[in-house]
Amino acid sequence: MDLASIVDSIQASGVGEWMRSSVKAMPIVEAIHVMAAATVFGTVLVVDLRLLGFPSTQRPFTRVSDELLKWTWAAFVVALITGGLMFAANAHTYYVNTAFRLKMLALLGAGLNMAVFHTVTCRTVRAWDQGVPAPLAGRLAGAASILIWVTLIFLARWIGFTKGYDFDVPQDVNLDFTF
Amino acid sequence: MRELAEWLQGTSFSVTIQSVSWVVPLLQSIHIVTIGVVFVSSFMIALRVLGRIRTDEPFAAVWGQFSPWLWGGLGVMAVTGGLLVVGEPVREATSLSFWMKMILLVVAVAGTALFGRSLAAAARVEFPSGAKGAAVALLVLWIAIIFLGRAIAYDVEVWGPLSPSA
Repeated sequence: MDLASIVDSIQASGVGEWMRSSVKAMPIVEAIHVMAAATVFGTVLVVDLRLLGFPSTQRPFTRVSDELLKWTWAAFVVALITGGLMFAANAHTYYVNTAFRLKMLALLGAGLNMAVFHTVTCRTVRAWDQGVPAPLAGRLAGAASILIWVTLIFLARWIGFTKGYDFDVPQDVNLDFTF
Repeated sequence: MRELAEWLQGTSFSVTIQSVSWVVPLLQSIHIVTIGVVFVSSFMIALRVLGRIRTDEPFAAVWGQFSPWLWGGLGVMAVTGGLLVVGEPVREATSLSFWMKMILLVVAVAGTALFGRSLAAAARVEFPSGAKGAAVALLVLWIAIIFLGRAIAYDVEVWGPLSPSA
């Protein structure tokens, strides 16, 4: 089974059908996606800025990241679920959309950057946890992470303007029906 | 109000925002990136009040670190949001979500300013349940504001006959 046919079967699935036929599902799912994305980006930003030495290196890096990354992951799971629901509604349109493909690439880049940082750079964290600047690799990872996440959000918003359809109310739908 | 919005929509500044294809997505992208800054700043402040993070630091230190990001971010959002309104004044003026968002925004900004300043002055390490409740309430307000922001594009779908544009 190739990728294109998997995409088509996602679109034809019950979840996809439900997302398309429900009037209120899309705005609610999109709003939750924005909240989750905001939480992912904001919490990652605090950790990345600490890596870069902002506002200072006084607070141990591991404490900052331990306090925040659990919220990042929780929000990421929510973003993944809501994003999946949005994808299911119009899977084919997303699949062929350039902004969407670049966004997925950015997501992969963010994941790789994080994986390298945690498995390699973080091995020496005890030496730079507090009071001294993070090594160059750590500072680069922090800067790259901010850049990638901002780019990802821009690409995400661009999907809505390039996907080539309006998610309008389906025809003949009674707007009074309860969600 | 509708006449005002229609006049604004006809001004050349508004027409420029409407007609240059990348302006609206760019403004919306900056607006969303800044939601992350503002929302997580208020989240950090709330988590400190709840005693979930940075309990080794006084509240004033956490407030001092995150409130400038909160106010700065809100300033950026006022500019990008304001330009988006100029670009689509009729859609905003006839949107229930937009007006509810503006009302809640005033409440959230005033509430955060009063709450943060009084708690920073109180110099406590541990907060009573009233303060914790207020911290959660402010967070819920910001969540409602984000929801309403997204709902502007779906006003009829979300509010049905209650929407002025229905």
